[in-house]
Amino acid sequence: MNKLFATFLSLAFLTLPTYGIEMAPIPEVEAIETEEMVTEEVKDLPYNFESTYKVPIKLGIITPITTKGETLYEGQVLQFKVLQDTYCKRKTFLKKGTIINGRIETLISTGMNGFPAEIIISNFEIPGAKPSQLVDTYTKKGQNRCYIVYPIKWALTIIPFVGSLTNLIKGGHAKIKAKDEIVIYYYPEWK
Amino acid sequence: MKKIVILLALLLCTTPVFAATTSNIAKETEIQTRIDSVAVKLLNHNKITKRIIFTYDKKEKKKALSTDKALTKRQVIIYDGLYQHIQTDDELAAMLAREIATAMKSYDGSFGGWIDSAQVALGSKKFETVSDKRAVDYLVNAGYNPLAVIIFINKTCPQKRHDTFSRHNLTSKRLARVYEYITYKYPQYLENNEYINNEYYQNFLLTSVENRKKLAEKIKAKATKDIDYE
Repeated sequence: MNKLFATFLSLAFLTLPTYGIEMAPIPEVEAIETEEMVTEEVKDLPYNFESTYKVPIKLGIITPITTKGETLYEGQVLQFKVLQDTYCKRKTFLKKGTIINGRIETLISTGMNGFPAEIIISNFEIPGAKPSQLVDTYTKKGQNRCYIVYPIKWALTIIPFVGSLTNLIKGGHAKIKAKDEIVIYYYPEWK
Repeated sequence: MKKIVILLALLLCTTPVFAATTSNIAKETEIQTRIDSVAVKLLNHNKITKRIIFTYDKKEKKKALSTDKALTKRQVIIYDGLYQHIQTDDELAAMLAREIATAMKSYDGSFGGWIDSAQVALGSKKFETVSDKRAVDYLVNAGYNPLAVIIFINKTCPQKRHDTFSRHNLTSKRLARVYEYITYKYPQYLENNEYINNEYYQNFLLTSVENRKKLAEKIKAKATKDIDYE
């Protein structure tokens, strides 16, 4: 028994440190490599979001739009005007009334169960600002009728099939009116 | 003596197991690093101001009744079964971009995005198309080729018989819609098509002849109405 115990102990002493030695350098090497990689990547990054200084740009659409009637399409260019003078570091950046183009990115049509339509606009072309300096995604939704639909559906579940009729209720169309204020942000210190 | 030999043999047997585990961990770390690298590039280039994390899971696929963590925790799980289809970074970006689009919906709306998340989960057919389209935008903004979305879907999604009562669209319809979206918004990727010699892309072209014909007619007629794809 003693022999067995001694063998086990000696084997454990012989093998375990070997694993330890084998395993130990791996994380070190990886850590150095990762550090170098990160440093390299940071140098080449096309963006730097360090600055928190932002300028809000208030826009209004020139021609009101709606998802009703399938007149809109994805990629469509829309015109907006600047609603008020915009200043960046005490200098005028955009004058009131300046016309700016934006693009419809995605259209979501209304759906059953009260799902609202949605218009996602982005890619605003602001003179003097690079696209990478803008946080410019604007989303407008129609009326979300699920707040009405789901309670009715659940209340009617007791009568077979009747609850399913609420599936036919569609959500509201998305509209952007002339008086709607669209705010996008310009980060002048970003790359 | 016998006992000593047996013990020695047993101890020797543990070594390959340990080596295999180390190798697996290294492989998983490599996959996770690749996923994180592509994902963070997508998030940063698209200036997504919300937090989303990405986790590689060795499991083949999601359990049937489990919730979508992209909606509940803003945690995108990449299952090994799906990851095995990924070859290029473009394709990986396509897969991740779709999930980012889904996770982003969970930040919208009332009750901390709970209502919108429920709508995405219940009306998944509609938002499946939206996620596909948003994925195309995300890829373009991050410098990836959006045609990878077509390749990713073509490789991974089966073709059902019909979608009338299904919560998912027919894959052929999804592919046709993505192709249409790229045709209108990013035609430069089709004009200088890097994927023209890609076998998976050619397979898509082969299986989408009828749908592409419908799109050609729509473009010719300058119509804006949605096409009823097959």
